Amino acid sequence: MRLIGAEVLKLVRRRGLMAWSLLLTVGTVLIAEIVLVVLHAVNPSHHGPAGGATNLEHYVFLASGLGNVAAILIGATAGTQDASNGVFRDLVVTGRKRSALFNVRVPGALAVFLPILALGLGLAIAGSFVLAGGLPNASGATIAKYVEYAVAITTINIIIAVGLAAFASSRVVVGVLIAWNAIVSQLLMQISSLGSVRKGIDVAAAEHFMPLTSNGGGARIAMSAVTALLVLVGWALVFTRAGRWWTVRRDA
Amino acid sequence: MRRPRGVLSVRCMETVIETHALTKKFGERVAVNGVDLTVAAGVAFGFLGPNGAGKTTMIRTLLGLTQPTSGDVALLGLPQPAKRAEALARVGAIVEEPKFHPHLTGRENLKIVAAARDRAAEGRIADSLERVGLAHRADDRVKTYSLGMRQRLGIARCLLADPALLILDEPMNGLDPAGILDMRRLIRSFVDEGRTVFLSSHLLDEVEKTCDQVAIVDQGVVIVQGAVGEIAAQGEPTLLIEIDDAATARKVLGGESRVTHVEDEGASSLRLTLGDGLVPAEINRALVNAGVAVSRLEPARATLEETFLSITSRLGANE
Repeated sequence: MRLIGAEVLKLVRRRGLMAWSLLLTVGTVLIAEIVLVVLHAVNPSHHGPAGGATNLEHYVFLASGLGNVAAILIGATAGTQDASNGVFRDLVVTGRKRSALFNVRVPGALAVFLPILALGLGLAIAGSFVLAGGLPNASGATIAKYVEYAVAITTINIIIAVGLAAFASSRVVVGVLIAWNAIVSQLLMQISSLGSVRKGIDVAAAEHFMPLTSNGGGARIAMSAVTALLVLVGWALVFTRAGRWWTVRRDA
Repeated sequence: MRRPRGVLSVRCMETVIETHALTKKFGERVAVNGVDLTVAAGVAFGFLGPNGAGKTTMIRTLLGLTQPTSGDVALLGLPQPAKRAEALARVGAIVEEPKFHPHLTGRENLKIVAAARDRAAEGRIADSLERVGLAHRADDRVKTYSLGMRQRLGIARCLLADPALLILDEPMNGLDPAGILDMRRLIRSFVDEGRTVFLSSHLLDEVEKTCDQVAIVDQGVVIVQGAVGEIAAQGEPTLLIEIDDAATARKVLGGESRVTHVEDEGASSLRLTLGDGLVPAEINRALVNAGVAVSRLEPARATLEETFLSITSRLGANE
């Protein structure tokens, strides 16, 4: 626990990282709500209330989509900061196992990111109810699904970012993972000739946990919850093992 | 800071570092070449060599930061890497320039390392900062520290282990004269507490002033090791003479085969290197007999620097 606390300390003291993470995960939701409230106030006949089930879907899409970028930033930082600051060797000479030094990075990154995500989702959910006007609200089950999805996609990206950044010893993985999530995986999921191979894409597996909605349901790759879970665990294992392997093996 | 039980127990230990035929190769390049090193407990031990001699590689190999190609290492009497965690729990080390998370304060950086050590380490943070004179800057970010302050923070980080052995890689680097003096005092105070300090340096003068024992290393090979005074005494004795007629003196000395080297030290002074049992009185007699007036005759002890240069130049000549 003390090592996890140390990881958290290293991350939360990075003012820029924290500011960007809050802006991407919480700030965008807040800005979206303010914009929709203003539009509704200015022209209520053309712009409906800022809350309700449909707007909640948009807010969750913002919090999880841009929050995903924050998750990748935090994960990549956790994966590389000891080595890039030259402190890794000082931790190694304490006699701690290198694998132990690696193993605390994911819990540390999650301990920093998940409260930020919770704040973003909380703001989205609260806004959807408070600003609903006459619009129908999302059910408890739907909200639970949104939370499941947001946690699943961001957690898997934190794990991948920590592992890949430690393995590559570089924060270049931030760009690679953003491109993978935003472009490459989406393109691959659209190629129907790939068939069931697409079930192996982490983004497709995470989307399984997203509720079927007017916007999100169409491109989804059909798979069972167990398959989706296994795919996510598989991705987590591969990248965690790669990062741990290199952390144990590298010269400090 | 209280003297730990661990330090007392190590005092009973004969050696804190022992290597046998330790070798580290990078491809075809041999950075550490079959080193047999023995460091006794409770001393300041200087690991002396020119830049690129293999000092840092040796330290990294001792600490398990890089794997040796062959050979054996024991730290605090514990074989490595089998008992690595047990040994390193009582070792504090600075390898190369001390590095920190620049966005954290000095105290926070120590917290990070204390978290990787035993629970008692966190309780030593304040004492460690006090000991190195950084208590007043402990809550400033490390990116605002000078190199000298980072060196001292590195020492404070070592002290979190309450170490029986401190391994310091070029600890005087980047320090101003006052900082060097402080560091020397700090190192001697550690030795006075019964800790062992193993420090690498290319600054011969500092090693001579700070250390009790020394090993001279060059091209990955330990050329000689022992007490500083003994090693310095291995150099040939020199004699400074002041005479009224340097030209005649040179001619007289040129006829004495046991004077191995004559060097001008000014218009009427010469520095002689004496070999093969030649004593100053014989030089005096020879000069006076030749009509040269001798106004000064001063035997000089060889410094570690002279010995070092003599050893490394012999090594170079033999290649």
